[in-house]
Amino acid sequence: MENLHLFGVGVGLGLIVIGAGIGIGRLAAGAAEGIARQPEASDKITAAVNLPLFLLEGVAILGEVFALLIVLMK
Amino acid sequence: MIASGEQTHDSSVMDQVGDNIIHHVSNSSLDHPLIHLPHVFGIDLSVTKHVFMLWIVAIVVACAVIIPIQKYLQKNKPVPSGWMNLLEMVVKFVRDSIVQPNIGSKYTEMWAPMILTFFFFILFANGIGLIPIFDLLGALNRFIFQVPASDDHNIINALLHGGVTATGNFNVTAALAVITFFAILIAGTRAHGFINHWKNLAPPGLPWPVYLILIPIEIIGMFVKPFALTMRLAANMTGGHIAILAILSFMAIFAEMFNSAITGMGVALFSVPLATAISGLEIIVVLVQAYVFTLLSAVFIGMAINVHH
Repeated sequence: MENLHLFGVGVGLGLIVIGAGIGIGRLAAGAAEGIARQPEASDKITAAVNLPLFLLEGVAILGEVFALLIVLMK
Repeated sequence: MIASGEQTHDSSVMDQVGDNIIHHVSNSSLDHPLIHLPHVFGIDLSVTKHVFMLWIVAIVVACAVIIPIQKYLQKNKPVPSGWMNLLEMVVKFVRDSIVQPNIGSKYTEMWAPMILTFFFFILFANGIGLIPIFDLLGALNRFIFQVPASDDHNIINALLHGGVTATGNFNVTAALAVITFFAILIAGTRAHGFINHWKNLAPPGLPWPVYLILIPIEIIGMFVKPFALTMRLAANMTGGHIAILAILSFMAIFAEMFNSAITGMGVALFSVPLATAISGLEIIVVLVQAYVFTLLSAVFIGMAINVHH
């Protein structure tokens, strides 16, 4: 039972990947759709997608850091 | 891999792999500093691997960016050529698509130098982390010059302790983020005055219960911004290296699990190409993270200057 924290980290990492994957996937899908409808606005769409994409990535990375901390520090 | 792979023979491979990976991404411990320096105010000033890498990055940035630009500016007819073409392209990209849209034309000239410094420093620090120069030197040292791994006075053996990516250290990125933190304060103060900058934290004209919630959130947000910058850069740079090392360690893990060297070689057929592919991905991550850090710094500075009500 003392290794239960490893189980939690494994599940948590999976949840992080699911969440980040859904988020980034939706962003990319929205951007691709927008560019397909209006190719001339692709610069603006890319700029608008960039910032939430990086903020989302930051949250996922934070989750991974804390998962790593749980493993290292128990 | 070479330096620490043979440390202990009595424990199993599984126990060594985790330590080995952490050893290769973290800073060298204070037991193995490159240069011993005394304590000042309780802080050990010994030069560790990451400090040494910061010096190397500083030298590389000076040779590759600062000196060519100074030479170029001294010329009478400034027509860029060769390396300077690339530099001009990068500088123009950072100024026109990171600083100018986010900070605004009025303050572009003021903040572009700082953002450019961030960009080049992070880009070179990340990039140097991808070059396994010290592992190569360690292999030469061990197998050609026959220096034993236990000899800590040998400078190359001392350099093998710790990782090479200085931006993979949370202290380095925290220092960069602290610069951004003060840059946000200075930008807001320069644009609106000291009092107005703090008033801008919360929009005026709301009922007072809203402020009870809003003001603490804004104050927390002030500190969360640099904290997120710190974590994002360091974790990204550490994460890629951990992934590569873990995939390479599969060889040793599987060889021990099935107790045969052939299994290890079979796994190598899968893990070496995968590690190569992740190294390719790391090149993109290196570029993207330098871009992200500078972009977010510019966005945060711009948020302090162009306040939306």
